Amino acid sequence: MLLKTLTEAMGPSGFEDEIRNLIREEVSPHVAKMYTDVLGSLYCENTVQTGPRIMLDAHMDEVGLMIVHIEENGLLRFKPIGGIDPRVLVSKPVQIGTEKRFGVIGAKPIHLQSPDERTKPLGINQLYIDIGAKDKKDAEQVVKLGDVCVFATRYEELGDNCAKAKSFDDRVGCAILIETLKKQFQVPLVGAFTVQEEVGLRGATAAGYRVQPDIAIALEGTVCFDVVGAPSHGQSTVLGGGPALTVQDSQTIADRAFLEFMISVAEKHNIPYQLRRVKGGSNDFGAIHKTRDGVIGGGISVPVRYIHAPAQIISLEDYQNAILLTEAIVRAISEGGFTI
Amino acid sequence: MKDLITQLAQAVAPSGSERQFQETLLSYVKDLADEVKIDRLGNGIARKHGDGPHIVLAAHADEQGVMVIDIDDHGFLRIIGIGEQTPSLLVGRSVRFTNDEIGVVGAEDDVKVQDLTLDHLYIDIGAATKEEAQKRVHIGLSGVVVEPVVSLTDHLLTGRALDNRVGCAIAIEAFREAAQKGLNVSVVFTAQNAVGARGAKTAAYQLEPDFAIVIDATPAGDTPEASRNDIQLGAGPAVKIMDSSTIVPIAVKDHLIESAERAGVQIQYEVWTKGRSDAGNIQLSVDGILVGGVSYPARYTGRTSTVVDLRDAKAALDLVLEAVRSFGQ
Repeated sequence: MLLKTLTEAMGPSGFEDEIRNLIREEVSPHVAKMYTDVLGSLYCENTVQTGPRIMLDAHMDEVGLMIVHIEENGLLRFKPIGGIDPRVLVSKPVQIGTEKRFGVIGAKPIHLQSPDERTKPLGINQLYIDIGAKDKKDAEQVVKLGDVCVFATRYEELGDNCAKAKSFDDRVGCAILIETLKKQFQVPLVGAFTVQEEVGLRGATAAGYRVQPDIAIALEGTVCFDVVGAPSHGQSTVLGGGPALTVQDSQTIADRAFLEFMISVAEKHNIPYQLRRVKGGSNDFGAIHKTRDGVIGGGISVPVRYIHAPAQIISLEDYQNAILLTEAIVRAISEGGFTI
Repeated sequence: MKDLITQLAQAVAPSGSERQFQETLLSYVKDLADEVKIDRLGNGIARKHGDGPHIVLAAHADEQGVMVIDIDDHGFLRIIGIGEQTPSLLVGRSVRFTNDEIGVVGAEDDVKVQDLTLDHLYIDIGAATKEEAQKRVHIGLSGVVVEPVVSLTDHLLTGRALDNRVGCAIAIEAFREAAQKGLNVSVVFTAQNAVGARGAKTAAYQLEPDFAIVIDATPAGDTPEASRNDIQLGAGPAVKIMDSSTIVPIAVKDHLIESAERAGVQIQYEVWTKGRSDAGNIQLSVDGILVGGVSYPARYTGRTSTVVDLRDAKAALDLVLEAVRSFGQ
């Protein structure tokens, strides 16, 4: 099960080795050419030479934590990698380093908190990871400063065709890209599995200069808050509403012609879609479209509830529709459906 | 120049929706250009091949605005900002969208003015239902707060988008004169400045100038209880020393100051620590580009209406022309 394999793999920004190896194994039977760049992004190309050069992007990395200090008593202090709300961290199990050693993010129990402490959320500096070490020396046997952690969350399917896991952002995009690369297209196609998106779209910037695409599309997981108390304009996306297209985010204003092209393809094939109704957040296209003399394109995103948190939920229907939409768009471009 | 500025200020061109306005801008220069184009990010570019180093004049064409992000069942529109918007300044104002639809900005009643965010605002276009609204507007449609351009005195103009339509007018006239003299010059009306100087980055990559001059507004500090800033309206153009995106190389700064002396232009110095301009992204494009800035003072930059002095604009043009003519000599 691709989503299970991808979401349970480890890969905080800058530490994408495990997830990259998994992806490489998955796509290698299907692509003509595969290589990495010095930042660690993985590129997969077909052999078609004529037609607009299309780049499909999905970032491999996920938000995580880095161990920065070991206390005398063997507890580990950490800093976030990427945007993590400290309020989601308390009491969560994590896995540390390449050996995936278990730890628990600890804090003072409610019984011991003063009334004042109970009213305030805990900050990163009040939290630590407990690996059951008896002291600093003991902890140092198994953990080094600079080791990284991810949430210890299993992939599971639940409810009405939904799934929960960590790192749907952006392993769902990786899965869409892998499924797309398994198909054959009569257009030059480059799949870029990028690194370090969560710390500032760094891999995608280098990827844009390397690939030099005519058209680029970022495949993403995006924020979804279609729950209690959220007015329509505060939801961003609706779970099950179909893949979301961007009109504006913090890094991009959509190219209207390309957005309308993507919408027309979705409508032609009866694939449900929605527009992402929020300005905050961004994806790799924000970096790619500013490379060289500029790149046309956009983003296709799967709504993810509780994004950047230990347990995220997606609709598998949205996921399947994103795969269909991506394929339909690439085919439409290969048939001359969009003129740059 | 006043007529040109007034005409340019009519255009509705929020960041990301510059294309139609670029056609207008390029119509003022294309008779003298070897090539004109509107590129992928929406920059309008005119290139004149000629003698000497390649000099690029850059003025952003866009302005801040608002974008429709949701339409409710009663036909009210919710918005996000294009560039930085102060929500309280929008309340009660008219908005014109790029498709010429008009609306009025309202605010939810139970929020205090100081707590207002864009999430509390909506635009009333007079539609009774969502379906009616969807016939006239769509999610992603952009607009601007309208404010006419009028003369306050013989020299002072006030109105919407003078930042940076004044700069576009200066760039048009400077390009025309330089091109007529046979110089090697380009003008780029940059797109998406208000959202982070995005167009400037890709324009500089394409044009690879030997020297670029950014023409833009700089805030004047000559108003009651203004925060400390020595720039005065009517005291001449300001040579950019630094803003938050760039520190201008000393050689460029000296060239502009000496050009001003030769042209007999009285200048000021722009040290705008919070300011963002196209200069930084041009400077860091390709393998590094020599960049400088000639700015005209403007009161109330970033607000819905600014005030500029036409004498500053004229003097800025004289300074730019001399800097272009004498660069590299």
